[in-house]
Amino acid sequence: MPTFRTLFPALAAAFLGAAGAQADPVTFDTARGEMTLPEVPERIVVLDIAALDSITALGVMPAGVIAPLYVDYLPEALEDATRVGSFFEPDFEAIAALAPDVIVVGARASTQVDALSRIAPVADMSIGTEVLAEGKARLHGFGAMLAREDKAAELAAALDDRLVALRPRVADQGGRALIIMTNGPKLSTFGANSRFGWLHRTLGFDMAVDDVDAGNHGDAVSFEFIAEADPDTLLIIDRGAAIGGGTEAAEATLDNPLVAGTRAARNGKVIYLAPAELYIASGGIQSLNRTLDELTAALGAE
Amino acid sequence: MRLAGLAVLTALAGLSLFLGVSDLRPADLLTDPEARDLLWISRLPRTMAAVLAGAALAVTGQIMQVLARNRFIEPMTAGAGSSAALGVLLTTLLAPAAAIWVKMAAASFAALLGSLGLMALIRRLPPTDPLLVPLVALVYGGVIGAIVTFAAYQTDLIQYLGTWLTGELSGVLRGRYELLWLAAAATVAAWAIADRLTLLSLGEDTARSLGLNVQLVTAAGVVAISVVTAMVVVTVGAIPFVGLVVPNLIARSTGDNLRRALPLTALTGAILVLGADIAGRAVIAPYEVPVATMVALAGAVTFLVLLNRGAGRA
Repeated sequence: MPTFRTLFPALAAAFLGAAGAQADPVTFDTARGEMTLPEVPERIVVLDIAALDSITALGVMPAGVIAPLYVDYLPEALEDATRVGSFFEPDFEAIAALAPDVIVVGARASTQVDALSRIAPVADMSIGTEVLAEGKARLHGFGAMLAREDKAAELAAALDDRLVALRPRVADQGGRALIIMTNGPKLSTFGANSRFGWLHRTLGFDMAVDDVDAGNHGDAVSFEFIAEADPDTLLIIDRGAAIGGGTEAAEATLDNPLVAGTRAARNGKVIYLAPAELYIASGGIQSLNRTLDELTAALGAE
Repeated sequence: MRLAGLAVLTALAGLSLFLGVSDLRPADLLTDPEARDLLWISRLPRTMAAVLAGAALAVTGQIMQVLARNRFIEPMTAGAGSSAALGVLLTTLLAPAAAIWVKMAAASFAALLGSLGLMALIRRLPPTDPLLVPLVALVYGGVIGAIVTFAAYQTDLIQYLGTWLTGELSGVLRGRYELLWLAAAATVAAWAIADRLTLLSLGEDTARSLGLNVQLVTAAGVVAISVVTAMVVVTVGAIPFVGLVVPNLIARSTGDNLRRALPLTALTGAILVLGADIAGRAVIAPYEVPVATMVALAGAVTFLVLLNRGAGRA
């Protein structure tokens, strides 16, 4: 039964919405095509970290979010939002109690779309393997949905500026790169078709091993594989650290003569990329910026 | 039989030393210092790890089967494996930045505690029903496994733990597998008391009337089992079936005289794991199929054949 405490914000939002005269319908692009809402949504439930990343970057605070958030750069104001389960297991009762205007899901919760759409309209803002292009497309989608197209365009332009600055550095110094994910003492590599493939395709790193066509989850390899590939740049993602800070574990795993002998290690081009940004919030505008900044810093001045 | 086995193992070891992502030919060792480094840093440790892990797992499987007087039990399923996993998980959560050897040591300690817990449980069971022991061991292993899964689920570490614990030799380098020598030492120690363990298989009362200190020998066997399992789990991950299939194969041909059987068991276990690792490296080179997957494939087929034959004979 709705109490005053839960009802009041909804009523207030309704009045404010009416007063703001924003009753025009909004149309925006999602991962499943165009979608229309009767008006700019006030109460938003977000079940995806990348979506949360982009929405908060646009200056909008959702009413309900999942937990845990994994990444540490989201605004503190999010602490006021109601927690509504995890991205694999949304808490349907909590979501229904919020009476949202729209529910935003990403790839991890996309199997729940049918069930969720009984509560409120569901916007599937999943990001596939074209992380940068799709991340920008979703950002524009959110801009249209939240009537903040200008802010979205501004953010997209800033991202493009970073890209324009980074690409020549990659071309000059990056050379042939190899993407390695460490998992405790073990390694796997990811190719151009994987979830990290955009580092090759969009940023312009050449492939250190041509025929890596490992699927989305990568392929197990040995240290000898790294030594034999002898890349100019090693891009390291620490799966273990995606849950709790630091890259020490990956550094310990890679601290051996076979890795030390590669061109990347000799030239100081072993780049540890923050794993949560790439793995969990992949495609969010802030996460993309942070990854590009890490690469820019690691590749140094021109 | 032993000589034939040794010949097969030597041939496989030679193959393993010169098969890998980088080209390495025996002649290079004389001329090229880099080739010698490669052999020393990567190939030799990997080959040794496969041999040690295979031999140790097979031997502890056989010891556990004698202790429990049941052919369908192995340490990986009886709590030692999941306790080691719990140790890995706890160190990852409490000290994510800890060096790998710290995680390994913590996991070994957890496995010892887990095995001691199993011993305490088993001691209370009535000695009249030997089937209770493997059943309780299975349930015990399952309970610890459930705790591990729950903790990993809550902390979103399921995938991480899965990769850590999949038996795989791709991460083996010099300095990353040496704990397995401890497992080898525990295996040799078990062989030293093989005659006493054989007496145990006659039943506790008979063994006791023959002058055996049943509790002491059982305790020694369980400690050996847990040390070996922990070392293998934290160094290369869990490898299924080795402790189950190999002892069954050997017992069929040589019987349960452990002094005679254990060397053959060790040899066969080493051949199985080394052969599986070579196959796993070859099928999708330069990538790898985890050795656990290859062993499970070979082991499951062998085990089904064994079961089928047994049924036919009976």
